[in-house]
Amino acid sequence: MKNLIKKYTMIVLIFMFILTACSSTTESVESESDKISRPTMDRAGNSIEIPEDVQRVISFAPSITQVIDEIGWLDKLVAVDSQSPNYVEAVDELPQFDMMTPDLEALAALEPDIMFVSGMSSAKGDNPFQQLIDLGVCVVTIPSSTSIEGVKEDNQFIADSLGQHEKGKQINEDMQERIDAIAAIGSTIEEEKTIMFEIAALPTIYSFGKNTFLHEMIELIGAKNVFENEEGWISVNEEAAISENPDVILTSVNYIEDAVGEILAREGWENMKAIQNQDVYYIDNGKSSLSNHHIVEALEEMAKLVYPEKYEELK
Amino acid sequence: MEQLKIKMWLTVIVCVMVLIVAAGLGTVAIEASDIVGIFGHKIFGIELPKDLSANIASIFWTIRLPRAIAAFLVGGALAVTGTVMQSVLRNPLASSYTLGVSSGASLGVALMVIFGMTIPFLGKFSLPMIGFLFGLGTVLLAISMAMQLDKSLENQTIILIGMVLSLFVSSLLTILIVLSKEHLEQIIFWQMGSFSAIKWSHVFVLFVIIVPGILFLMYFAQELDIMTFGEEQAISVGIDMRRMKIVLITASALLTGTAVAFVGIIGFIDLIAPHVVRKIYGASHRIVVPMSALFGGAFMTLADLVSRTIISPSELPIGAVTTLIGAPFFAYVYFNRRSVTKKNA
Repeated sequence: MKNLIKKYTMIVLIFMFILTACSSTTESVESESDKISRPTMDRAGNSIEIPEDVQRVISFAPSITQVIDEIGWLDKLVAVDSQSPNYVEAVDELPQFDMMTPDLEALAALEPDIMFVSGMSSAKGDNPFQQLIDLGVCVVTIPSSTSIEGVKEDNQFIADSLGQHEKGKQINEDMQERIDAIAAIGSTIEEEKTIMFEIAALPTIYSFGKNTFLHEMIELIGAKNVFENEEGWISVNEEAAISENPDVILTSVNYIEDAVGEILAREGWENMKAIQNQDVYYIDNGKSSLSNHHIVEALEEMAKLVYPEKYEELK
Repeated sequence: MEQLKIKMWLTVIVCVMVLIVAAGLGTVAIEASDIVGIFGHKIFGIELPKDLSANIASIFWTIRLPRAIAAFLVGGALAVTGTVMQSVLRNPLASSYTLGVSSGASLGVALMVIFGMTIPFLGKFSLPMIGFLFGLGTVLLAISMAMQLDKSLENQTIILIGMVLSLFVSSLLTILIVLSKEHLEQIIFWQMGSFSAIKWSHVFVLFVIIVPGILFLMYFAQELDIMTFGEEQAISVGIDMRRMKIVLITASALLTGTAVAFVGIIGFIDLIAPHVVRKIYGASHRIVVPMSALFGGAFMTLADLVSRTIISPSELPIGAVTTLIGAPFFAYVYFNRRSVTKKNA
């Protein structure tokens, strides 16, 4: 019985990964910070052989496309997944492919030197790109990271794969600088506000516990996640949400029109602190859900909304 | 007869107990005395006990209680329609779902979500209303198509047309979802089914449709009894089979459509309840229909209790729980009956 329940929980969780583009833990790969040489193992632990001269690149995840954009390599992209243009406008003209059911023939015809894919495409179990690999395409898997450290490693890894080690280093240094600025203020906050962060709304509220970069971000700004005793992505029962009675409710739900208004109007929630004080805010979905350097923007957004007076000085 | 009466009274008592347990248990522990206080406050306007937080009162009165009652009503409706459909179509696997209520409702909800429509004046009831209309519409379409093909409305024709139409509608839904991925989450969540976010206003609508609906179906208990013997018998005692089928199937679709519209697609109860209830209470529909309502209600309320407490503060999808509990239970009842029949033979 317990096993079955676990199984169902797992199925739901796997579902959430697919829906929110957040994926399982990654085994960290020794970052080759000193050497300029190309990585020989991808972020999922598969051996890879990246060609010396990379000219034609395919990105199969918006988070990866954004990093490539930051590196300044958009002009080397020859195709992207169909979600990427929603986050990086410039790639709108490129051929686009469905992440879950890619047309492998058309992809092969583009003759990419390297193709970046997220864990999402292989969510079904087997590697959907095996045929491309057999054809000699260098397919590099980067499962979405679940920690800020992992996100930085991903950034560096993408840069290294493209032979742009310094650029990767710079992206991460900028990111760390902004994180440090937040942490410097966050660590001085004594009366920590409690936060509930919704990534899916009623009737199926989803939030998260430990081992997620969003949880780390709540702690960085000097606040407390009400579900800190939970692990990973969790569905939240309405009773639990009300009884936790957080000081602030954040939401990154963008599939309904007015996510904040919907929360403020919920029946039975009217006596909660966050509702009475109208402390319910929207955090940009793209910045808070894609695992790359843009999460610092969500971090700053969160800091300023939760503690406006403390982070006033922050640019 | 005496024994049957005892069984029925026991069932009623069990149902009341299930409702009390479902109202008493949840993620948040609430003292029995506090619950009495909340009832006093809400019904008689007595002031809440001082040490009781307003949030706890909300959790009990606005979240938990309507949810438990809605689960009971929906479970009852699904079980009764399952019983009626199985008897009308003389098929142990039939239910309103077979005739396309669920796929029709899903298509309606998907269209609405994707095109962002709302029905004026209905507000939060827009989505259930569309789900209901599409669900009912699909069944009516199935029946009218079956009538075109087969004037006497044979069961096989109804089931076959229903299944084909249901699959066709599902494929439309799949195409819609593929073309509009950004709404995938909302549609899938709706399809998974849930009693979360059910409030008194929903319970009111469910009650007003489901209770009279079940009473209406009970009124045809004798016809249902005769119909299970076969079409020829039914016709020989003067039942207009064609008309009867249309009335009973439409009424069932209306009930299932209402249930599906509010809580999404929750399977299994419609399938197992009739078998279990017949096994316990015999075959007479005068008893089987109301007992199905009670059994289905109690079963669904318990399943929802499990879904919201077993991994709290998280929740399990209710559809998974009904099947998880229902499948072994069904197997037990079914095989138990088989061994009994063997012995008798």
